[in-house]
Amino acid sequence: MAKNHNIPEYKAEWKAGEEGKWGMAIDMDICTGCNACVAACAMENNIPFVGEEDAGYGRGMHWIRIERLWEGKYPEVKTEFQPVMCQQCGSAPCEPVCPVFASVHSQAEKLNVQVYNRCVGTRYCANNCPYVVRTFNWRDYDRPEPLNNQLNPDVTVRQRGVMEKCTFCVQRIHKAQDQAKSEGREVFDGEVQPACAQACPADAIVFGRIDDPESRVSKLAKQGRGYKLLEDLNTLPQVTYLKGGSHVRNG
Amino acid sequence: MTEKNMLLALFQEIDPAAQAVDKLRAMGIENEHVNVISGTPITEAMLGRPHQWTNVPRLAMGGAVGGLIVGIFFAFGTPALYPVYVGGQPLYPVPPSIVVLFELTMLGIMLSTFLGVFLDSRFPSYSPKVYVPEISDGYIALLIDCAPEQEEEVKKAMTEVGAESVKTAEVQPL
Amino acid sequence: MSVMAKPLAHAHGHEEHDHEAELRKEHLLLDPKPRGEMNAMVMDMMGGTTWKFWVVAAIMGALVLWGLVYSWGIMIAQGLGLAGVNQPVYWGLFLVHTVFWIGISHAGTFVSALLRVFKAEFRRPFTRAAELMTTFSLAQAAVMIFAHMGRVWLAYWMFPLPNQRQLWPNFHSPLMWDFLAINTYLLSSTMYLFLPLIPDLAMARDRSTGWRRKLYSILALGWRGTEGEWTHLRHALNIFAFAILPIMFSVHTIVSWDFAVAMRPGWSSTIFGPYFVVGAIHSGVAAVGMVLVAVRAFIKNMDYFIRPEHFDALGKLMLIISMAWAYFFFNDFMVQWYGGDRWTDELLHFHEAGKWGWIWFLMLICNIAVPWLTLWNKTIRRTPWAMFIIGLLINVGMWAERFIIVPVSLAINRMPFRWGDYEPGVEVPIFIGSVAFFILLYMLASRILPLVPVWEVQEGQMAHSIRKYGKEPVVTVSDLE
Repeated sequence: MAKNHNIPEYKAEWKAGEEGKWGMAIDMDICTGCNACVAACAMENNIPFVGEEDAGYGRGMHWIRIERLWEGKYPEVKTEFQPVMCQQCGSAPCEPVCPVFASVHSQAEKLNVQVYNRCVGTRYCANNCPYVVRTFNWRDYDRPEPLNNQLNPDVTVRQRGVMEKCTFCVQRIHKAQDQAKSEGREVFDGEVQPACAQACPADAIVFGRIDDPESRVSKLAKQGRGYKLLEDLNTLPQVTYLKGGSHVRNG
Repeated sequence: MTEKNMLLALFQEIDPAAQAVDKLRAMGIENEHVNVISGTPITEAMLGRPHQWTNVPRLAMGGAVGGLIVGIFFAFGTPALYPVYVGGQPLYPVPPSIVVLFELTMLGIMLSTFLGVFLDSRFPSYSPKVYVPEISDGYIALLIDCAPEQEEEVKKAMTEVGAESVKTAEVQPL
Repeated sequence: MSVMAKPLAHAHGHEEHDHEAELRKEHLLLDPKPRGEMNAMVMDMMGGTTWKFWVVAAIMGALVLWGLVYSWGIMIAQGLGLAGVNQPVYWGLFLVHTVFWIGISHAGTFVSALLRVFKAEFRRPFTRAAELMTTFSLAQAAVMIFAHMGRVWLAYWMFPLPNQRQLWPNFHSPLMWDFLAINTYLLSSTMYLFLPLIPDLAMARDRSTGWRRKLYSILALGWRGTEGEWTHLRHALNIFAFAILPIMFSVHTIVSWDFAVAMRPGWSSTIFGPYFVVGAIHSGVAAVGMVLVAVRAFIKNMDYFIRPEHFDALGKLMLIISMAWAYFFFNDFMVQWYGGDRWTDELLHFHEAGKWGWIWFLMLICNIAVPWLTLWNKTIRRTPWAMFIIGLLINVGMWAERFIIVPVSLAINRMPFRWGDYEPGVEVPIFIGSVAFFILLYMLASRILPLVPVWEVQEGQMAHSIRKYGKEPVVTVSDLE
């Protein structure tokens, strides 16, 4: 059939500057919803404890959450667990709306970064995030003794009135890159692990280079089980969810 | 006009004031030797006076150009000075830049129009000037700059056409 | 603009003389007073402050201290946790009230610029009262924006100031456009308030003593009223009247873009721009009506300047604008409803049948039913207290509209696990403080500034006359400008 040149051909592709570098694959078929990733993330990234009342009012500050979704009606209920964190969109809706460039795209890491020092707290980025993963410092939360000893020196502690979100543990990425550089080599696959992936007992979270077709995360993403959250919004997320395998899940 | 040794003729109505303007011209006093002060806006045409020149519209245009230039600096200059990439948008996006250019052009127009009134009217000027408070009660004052020998004649003529009072103008603090 | 056409003579059968007297009683511009007398009336308004005035002013001052100093101060010190905002309702009443105050601010420009451009003569006695509203309510909008910010002490980072980090603000952001537009509008409307005030300040200077004389001398800038000064002023006012209109439209359009450009169900709508502009004028003109009723009731001599004809004309405007608002609302609603997007459907259902559904119905009742059922009636339009209540209800309705758009719409998003709810907190005292601040500013201004533009009223009275057309006396307006 002759090609009709009047109709443009659609091909989804990343524009320059949007293509991913670091990415994640999350296997929903083996996630048990144990919340270890949530705890590990809070420890690693100095996320404050907001207390019972604020948490109940929707002010919990976790950078990663396990969405527990029920399917069917009791007693025929199935549970599904979906860990959701910042998807590090290549074309991130949160970025252009910030009036002071506190939410910007890192050209080096191809990550969506939040500049705490620059944030003035308009919270527009959070409203424009379709994944609702940005958390705000509603107050200055205190860390009573001895919890202050647990603070991670690699991560900034944020002030009240500042927006924050998952960074893909960028401090660990940098540490691994520095280590590799001092040893005169490339960062190898699996060398960098964000806290959530490290803590996952089921190994449901895999992290690595998605621009390297040989990495574990790239191979998993290409398995055929992969999909992205709210893919139709064209935010170009860098987290791939895997689902639909032969594993029998709980429930 | 130096505003010294001038006559101030006060009129309550516009018609006698217009007649007075004609009469002064007939007496050989040039238009530029007469000034009109009024409490309500009276156009030159109503009194048969020559057209008044104003720079305000030109200044407004200048302000528009100035505002536009500042807008261009904001929209295209600042990203060049410190490039930051956001949301997969180009560094110089067209639609948002139009908004910035529009707002700053309008701001330029408004500021320069406002300043234009100040410049053209030489505001603020708190030095004492020829004035009588009756003017803001709706009177029309003709300030006439005439030769001393003509003074009596002018006074008479002004009273004839219906001036409330004609006297040597006095400077008073405003 | 048929609404702006003046009611013409209609009654036959009376004697001509009566008819003429009636016309003069009805229309301010046909009922001239000598300039001196009018000046004295306006000067009289500003003096003669009673103890009641100071009691009310003290109460307002106390509310300002409680709302804007104490409550806001504590919130700045402790964080936005004191407000009702949370995840996912990141924006709450502060933004509702920002939109609310900016909406009200549109009335001043609408009345004094649009009606000036279209030569709607009934505007003359209350342009200043409306312009004062614009400036003071914009100040309240600014208070609300600052209150909304997480780190308000860094608000100056939005100014494009050169700094040692060489950082500039982000001109991609609708909030930055907002910043530029609101600043442009605030500056323009303040200048537009001040320019026509100069001749009246000179008038006040000529007939006051003591500190007032000093103050008016400074403010009047040495105005005498020479041909040149009038010419410059007239040209400037003409430029302002035309140029401030697109600014006014741009301000609320950009406010609407804060929502419309976002990637959210319910917000992403192309009609939000005009819908917000009409909504702003809806609340603004209603607020002008309220202010005029208050000013007429509490300020001496105002019943000469503000007459039933003005409420009548405003009432017609309010009715037309209410219809325009309903048109835009339905346009937005229809397309969203028909679109069938899953999340939009959820949101629309939540609007109507969710926890805040009663506010959605309140919005429709106050914005549509109230004006449509009352304002067709001339007697109601000419009754000041009724117009006050209708104006108040319209403002309640427009407040409800913004409440539905901001916190209620934010409760629903594309991640059902993260749906939420909103309970106002410290926003309420801060809003009460800002209302009190607005009233206080207006009260103080009414003691210092001539609230009626005397020279504009005089100019209007010069232009108006009664002409006999056959046996019928009719109102004639000559174009003096």
